Amino acid sequence: MAPDFQSRQEAFRAGLKQAMGAPILVLFAGMIGFGAMANTLGFSVWLAMLTSLLVFALPGQVVLFEMLTTGASALTAGLAVTLTSSRFLTMVVTLFPQLDAKDRNRGLYARVQLLAMTAWAVSMREFPHMAPTYRLPYFTGLGLPCWLIAVPGTALGYLLAGQVPMAVTLALVFINPLFFLLTFTDVRPWLYRGAIVGGGLVCPFFYEWDRDSSLLVSGLVAGTAAYLVDRLWRQRAVSAS
Amino acid sequence: MSVELSPLQTWGALAIAAAGTYACRALGVMVSDKINQDSEFFRWLSAVTYALVAALVVRMVLMPVGPLGTVPVGWRLGFCAVSLLVMVVGSRRRPALALFSGTALMLIYGIAGR
Repeated sequence: MAPDFQSRQEAFRAGLKQAMGAPILVLFAGMIGFGAMANTLGFSVWLAMLTSLLVFALPGQVVLFEMLTTGASALTAGLAVTLTSSRFLTMVVTLFPQLDAKDRNRGLYARVQLLAMTAWAVSMREFPHMAPTYRLPYFTGLGLPCWLIAVPGTALGYLLAGQVPMAVTLALVFINPLFFLLTFTDVRPWLYRGAIVGGGLVCPFFYEWDRDSSLLVSGLVAGTAAYLVDRLWRQRAVSAS
Repeated sequence: MSVELSPLQTWGALAIAAAGTYACRALGVMVSDKINQDSEFFRWLSAVTYALVAALVVRMVLMPVGPLGTVPVGWRLGFCAVSLLVMVVGSRRRPALALFSGTALMLIYGIAGR
């Protein structure tokens, strides 16, 4: 499938349309879960909603409330969240160089707030299929509804907490990992397939070793290994031809 | 119902967390200006990011926080496997059906298990 857009508006609408399926469902379910958690921990609905709007990174939001509950200081909790958000650095660095040169200006400092794991995964998959000039409007169409749904989702979860059956809660929280797992099946380059499989395999071992750094270490180890193997293959292909 | 928290502490923590998270995003924009997507560094960093995200997903399935931890790990993996099969078997990808089947299985487990 190769989207052949006629205009940037059309690319924006395509992004919107893409968001209306699984991505918005994943975000909505995740934020409902977060709102419910905020309620059960005894935080105000305003704090929860503002967190979803400003932080807009579910793992970080959960860490923030968990740490505050255990009595951590504002500084400790804030820094812990920043650490879990460090993945955004590499996510932006791998996504934005694919944008058209004329789109790579100061406006990106505003649009980068729309980036979450969902928009990243979908954009990484779709960008190679479209001309660079359509990538930014597509990303905006995809990311904007995902960001806008965060606050109502949080409020709804806060209201629903404890009122829906456990089976529904289970299904809602399961949507998140499931969606990302399914997105991986669309990744084509062998380098990235290797990195995904490797990262998944080594994660439990590093988790046993040190919980807090396990994600970063898994990423570095498996990603570097996949890169080196791929590089060796490419060099062989060059010398063989 | 939990520790007594002062407004300064909660809102202050949120301010630091929001600023820190945005700083990671903004730093990404700043650095991405200097990076060519055809470079070896870009390939390496993309591989590291994919591996990191995959590790996060595996952690969400194998070592979940919250209610998912009450579901035996075998069921969790089984539901993921069914969902993946629905996605990849056949000539066309079926993301909506795959997502629905995995979620529905979890819902049925939740209803039957209690």
